[in-house]
Amino acid sequence: MELVQMQKSLQDYTKSLFLDGVLDSQFLQLQQLQDESNPDFVSQVVTLFFQDSDRILNDLSLSLDQQVVDFKKVDPHVHQLKGSSSSIGAQRVKNACVVFRSFCEQQNVEGCHRCLQQVKQEYYLVKNRLETLFKLEQQIVASGGMIPAMELGF
Amino acid sequence: MAAVTTTNQAQKALELLRENKNKFDLVISDVDMPDMDGFKLLELVGLEMDLPVIMLSAHSDPKYVMKGVTHGACDYLLKPVRIEELKNIWQHVVRKNRGSNNGDKKDGSGNEGVANSDQNNGRANRKRKDQYNEDEDEERDDNDDPSSQKKPRVVWTVELHKKFKFRLYLKRISGNQQAIMANSDLHFLQMSNGLDGFHHRPIPVGSGQFHGGAAAAGMRPFPPNNGILGRLNTPSGIGGVRNLSSPPSSGIENVASHLQKFRLYLKRISGNQQAIMANSDLHFLQMSNGLDGFHHRPIPVGSGQFHGGAAAAGMRPFPPNNGILGRLNTPSGIGGVRNLSSPPSSGMFLQNPTDLGKFHHVSSLPLNHIDGGNILQGLPIPLEFDQLQTNNNKSIIAGNSMAFPSFPTSLPNNNNHLVLEGHPQASPSAFPGHQINKRLEHWSNAVSSSSSTLPPPGQNSNSLISHQFDASSSNYSIPFCDSTIPLNPALDHTNPRAFYRATDLDSNANVQPGVYYDSLQMRQSGNYGPTTDAMLSSNPKEGFTVGQQKLQSGFMGGEAGSLDDIVNSTMKQEQSQGDLSEGDLGYGGFSSLRTCI
Repeated sequence: MELVQMQKSLQDYTKSLFLDGVLDSQFLQLQQLQDESNPDFVSQVVTLFFQDSDRILNDLSLSLDQQVVDFKKVDPHVHQLKGSSSSIGAQRVKNACVVFRSFCEQQNVEGCHRCLQQVKQEYYLVKNRLETLFKLEQQIVASGGMIPAMELGF
Repeated sequence: MAAVTTTNQAQKALELLRENKNKFDLVISDVDMPDMDGFKLLELVGLEMDLPVIMLSAHSDPKYVMKGVTHGACDYLLKPVRIEELKNIWQHVVRKNRGSNNGDKKDGSGNEGVANSDQNNGRANRKRKDQYNEDEDEERDDNDDPSSQKKPRVVWTVELHKKFKFRLYLKRISGNQQAIMANSDLHFLQMSNGLDGFHHRPIPVGSGQFHGGAAAAGMRPFPPNNGILGRLNTPSGIGGVRNLSSPPSSGIENVASHLQKFRLYLKRISGNQQAIMANSDLHFLQMSNGLDGFHHRPIPVGSGQFHGGAAAAGMRPFPPNNGILGRLNTPSGIGGVRNLSSPPSSGMFLQNPTDLGKFHHVSSLPLNHIDGGNILQGLPIPLEFDQLQTNNNKSIIAGNSMAFPSFPTSLPNNNNHLVLEGHPQASPSAFPGHQINKRLEHWSNAVSSSSSTLPPPGQNSNSLISHQFDASSSNYSIPFCDSTIPLNPALDHTNPRAFYRATDLDSNANVQPGVYYDSLQMRQSGNYGPTTDAMLSSNPKEGFTVGQQKLQSGFMGGEAGSLDDIVNSTMKQEQSQGDLSEGDLGYGGFSSLRTCI
């Protein structure tokens, strides 16, 4: 694939993520922090996000599978996930977390289980998309090209 | 460009900070951390290291923000954090490091800083503690504004802090002002023994007589603020006071800011103001045991007499801030007080003992009052001050001879005048410690015999002043890392921004950064001696009404018709001075006062 085409693909792909609401402007802010001195900034941060989120989701699953659910433990996890996802720009994950938290407050176990599923779904979605995005970027870079800056006018 | 150090654990962060105190300029901490509450960390950092701390959280609930502010945070960022907000973080650092002479310059340089830094959030090393480490800023900055000189900062070692706490303790040892005055002076004497070779003296600290008296008289004891600073006697005279427009050696600012932070901390831990007093007394008592060289004395701290008495009387024990600032015996006097640009004559208690005579001569009550308040501005004066304010003023006035009808005649009179009325009476050596001791002993004897509850005449003007300081301080928003923590809730409205600034650093965009913090910055005014916090506020933009420095006019201690009048006149003066002071007053690097707890 030609470089220009790859770059175009990347741009379109990224745009679609925004349009789908998978990512929000916070992700753009992250991208702005990336420069020559920090060429892998975004992917590093996102990788951290993945690691933490995997752990949190795991803990959440365990907590919710208990006989007696301790919402005092569940809520901080969800809160953390909400914070980290919002910092990444993973909008849908964040929104799912917000719903999740409201069920936590209501101490609604069933609702929480559903929310957990929702959160996981959104999380895997964004994870998948971002991984694809990074792959595209890597291809471009490997071909000697530059990652096009994301335009906000879409 | 900033070097950023990150960690997931608050404990680890504390260790790193403790080990490398000078290495870090700013701390960014999440609220939710696995091993420690972020607010707790905030307090600890503020107390121990006096670094600006920025809170960070996904909790947008205003009560969290409020909590951050009251715990001394310089700022509270909401997640997701935006770059613009991060770009403003450096202001906190610069503010802290701002030199005394750079008030005006800062504006310009501040602007430059903003203009130059694109993504640079702080030209500082930063410590970032977060559950989720996002290295959003990894650039390196030159440290601080090139035009500003990095003021040496007092590092509050554990030891120093212990001393500090102990002094505070002494000041508070009884819930009664009088008792405090006597006790604390006595204690200070004792302390001096342990600390810097002062002379030990057995002191009947626990005598219940005091508080009973004070309670009965409805007066507030004067905290002998002098004590703490005076005795701190660090080699450099508490040197490294930040941002000192005045002679460098006075540590008042540092102590003041430290005290402020500590108070906030205590407030946090108890939750109830009176409880705070009691608790902190106890706390101090415990601390004192561990202190270096202090004279251990079984003190019935827990005895309900003190705070019970105070509580019964509806008084608030005077925060010993007075004590802290009062006895500053550093060689350079209290020159180094941060940004205290009160006129030299204004009796900054900060001055040397010999100056004290001058001090209370010149300074009328309000002046002292205000100065004290100003000085303490950097201090997080607990909310209780608010109440203290009204009471204190009264008590201060009450402290005048008229208010102490039963004051034992055996007590030296001149002090009384000087102290209480603020008359320019010659009491030249009012201050010297030994004299105080004598007076105190004398007084305590008298008191025990008369069992009256009068404020010890031995109060040197420092006490009075400091007392006033406390009282007045509540009038002012304590400029606290630019988001002033309004100890007096009533003041909130004057500076809403100061009070609660979640993420609105951006909103200040239209305010020049230099000015932005300059409201709290003291611009140096030349001939003022120790700069007062009062100077601090007069930036109209900030809406503070601090500015007082010269309250000489009009306030004549003791003769005021009514306490209310005095308070009102004080307030008015503050206001008017606030208006005038901007630009006139040499804030001189007040920023250091504004410690981000």
